[in-house]
Amino acid sequence: MKFADFVCPEAIRADLAAKDKEGAIREIVQALLDAGKIAPGEKDSIVKAILKREELGSTGIGRGVAVPHTKHPSVEHLLGAVAVSRQGVDFASLDGERVNLFFLLISPPDRPGDHLRALENISRQLRDDTFCRFLKQAKTAEEIKQLLNEADNNQFGP
Amino acid sequence: MSEQKATRTVVVTDPAGVHARAAVDIVKVVRKFRSKVVLSKDRQQAEGTDVLQILSLVMQYGSQVLLEATGPDAEDVLDAMEPLFAEPKPS
Repeated sequence: MKFADFVCPEAIRADLAAKDKEGAIREIVQALLDAGKIAPGEKDSIVKAILKREELGSTGIGRGVAVPHTKHPSVEHLLGAVAVSRQGVDFASLDGERVNLFFLLISPPDRPGDHLRALENISRQLRDDTFCRFLKQAKTAEEIKQLLNEADNNQFGP
Repeated sequence: MSEQKATRTVVVTDPAGVHARAAVDIVKVVRKFRSKVVLSKDRQQAEGTDVLQILSLVMQYGSQVLLEATGPDAEDVLDAMEPLFAEPKPS
């Protein structure tokens, strides 16, 4: 699976304003709403579901990266949004580091395989330090979009 | 210090597979022990302390995963890891 298969280009944010976990999740879900990918009436329910999953254990996987996610019956296929926070957000991460890079995923309840394949793509690409650093330094959504495209075309990593 | 080596094959029985939080839980458990752990699936390997490597294995429901531990508490770390591949019990 590639980034282009699940990341909505219109739901990429280069400068999150939120300073805490809930705010960051709200802002990224709002980006998917603004992109017309989720229904306005579903926003709160999606945010609540993601926060509930976070209560079970943080999706801050270390290296300044978090992958907040949930299953939700309102989506028909895997939806992803990408966001960068300059100041970083306290996310109770595995390594205690603040999170600068978010990949938020919403998947249909009956497709766990797609979710895992998206995680595989994200984690495989982020193992490349250059890609990870460039993403965190990106200043515009356009720059992030280009980096994701380059990653899809194997321009990073081994 | 005695070096032990332990290996075990586990099957993922969590319908959701080994997702992000499950991978974080694996790393947290491995870090509590002194042995080095390597997970393998389909000839791909991941270090037990690296979330990104673990997620790269794509361990879905039904996947077979080989766990290899080397160190003074090799059996213990595998005992502690094994339940993490099963469906979580409702809390």
